[in-house]
Amino acid sequence: MAKTQKLLPFKQPEKSYDVVIVGGGLHGLATAYYLARYHGIKRIAVLERRYIGFGGSGRNTEMIRSNKRAHETLPFYKESLAMWYDLSAELDWNLMAQQKGIIALAHSDPEMAAMRMLSDSQRRAGIKIEMLNPSELKKLVPSLDVSDKPALPIFGAQFHPEGGTVHHDAAVWGFAKACARYGVDLCVGVEVTGIKLDGTRVTGVDTNLGHIAAPKVHVAVGGYSSQIGRMIGMKFPVVNFAMQVMTTDIMAPFLDHYVASPRLHFYTQQTLKGDLILGGPLDHFQSWGSYTTWEESADRAVKIVEYFPDLAHVRIVRTWSGLCDCTGDSAPIMGGCGIDGLSLDIAWGYYGFKSTPACGKYSAEYIATDRVPEKIKHFGLDRFFNRRLVREVIL
Amino acid sequence: MAFLIDCPNCGRRNPYEFNFGGECKSAPAQGADMKAWCNYLFFHENMPEFQDEWWFHTMGCRDWIRVRRNIATHEIRSIEE
Repeated sequence: MAKTQKLLPFKQPEKSYDVVIVGGGLHGLATAYYLARYHGIKRIAVLERRYIGFGGSGRNTEMIRSNKRAHETLPFYKESLAMWYDLSAELDWNLMAQQKGIIALAHSDPEMAAMRMLSDSQRRAGIKIEMLNPSELKKLVPSLDVSDKPALPIFGAQFHPEGGTVHHDAAVWGFAKACARYGVDLCVGVEVTGIKLDGTRVTGVDTNLGHIAAPKVHVAVGGYSSQIGRMIGMKFPVVNFAMQVMTTDIMAPFLDHYVASPRLHFYTQQTLKGDLILGGPLDHFQSWGSYTTWEESADRAVKIVEYFPDLAHVRIVRTWSGLCDCTGDSAPIMGGCGIDGLSLDIAWGYYGFKSTPACGKYSAEYIATDRVPEKIKHFGLDRFFNRRLVREVIL
Repeated sequence: MAFLIDCPNCGRRNPYEFNFGGECKSAPAQGADMKAWCNYLFFHENMPEFQDEWWFHTMGCRDWIRVRRNIATHEIRSIEE
């Protein structure tokens, strides 16, 4: 009989903790890690009802970038991107981070103009951005069809050289192992069924394994935040949509960059394994279910073959979808929610994966100090009441 | 697709023919304060259970319909014009 060794020391939760983190995805693990390592909080539990990395952490498209629009969010994403590239060393675990460079295609002159404007706001935040014409683009991505054959020919592109990819499972493992190393209790199969309040103070959580007392509870549940909202009698400004992702056959390496088209809503990259990941828009109707459809697969296939004609005989072999919990302004909700000790890290929608390290860092800072850090001060839930929505876009 | 929408005018159709109009909510009464309007505009139930929602048949009869759908399983209970 082969000797087996558990890779992660999962635990049964104790009766009380200093901080309880609900949700064992990347954001929850990252927050626990920064709390344990940099804020000296000893007794932390991460409660996960399914398994570590179940939700969006395992079902994203691995893209990390900071080419966003709003001046409120740009410094945050810039820091998060820089942190990703240092994390392999910090976590002592290879996250397979690759600085591939992200190319966003434009298919008309007005789009080029819009991209130049976008680029200017990004440059002002200190993010490296270049505009490319079709012949420069062809040099970077030889397999791309920059002729006038496609229905919407390529007019140019925005190049974000600092963007890239990180292996999502490696990231989950890295943070989980680091958490275990710094003494965080990882509790899987523990479902939070209620949040216990004493007036406007949180005192703990009820779970399927009984009550766990904690003066601080952090909600990092990804697409499942509305259920937490109902436990405390609140609604959140969040609607769930499914985003479908496909992968293709494995091919020899031919695509070094992440290529996206904001107008046509598709993006693709070739993984280290050799398959293409095809990402795209959110489905247009609200959903809590994980499903994939023929319509979306066909749509991605048509678009990818339009710009990479050599891929005409490549098959889509695997599909999945993840939940995107979207706010009206495409910016997240971080910080408090009017209940002492209860902090939120929700509504990441399209951008949860790339923001993980900064999110963990600043959530931890907020929990440890009770002060809202400068970089996340625009992400509070109160912005929906005092008309301070963030001018972010989905792209 | 995982489900079809039985449009009262056009019959059973693919949901990609429709535009999704969100959860049915009732607007605050006239003279309601800003907080009530913000709640109405931005905040949603968004729970994995049956909800009434608006759909617009863009590629069909171009009519708004009310659909009672479970957003986790996509099971549809009732459809009204």
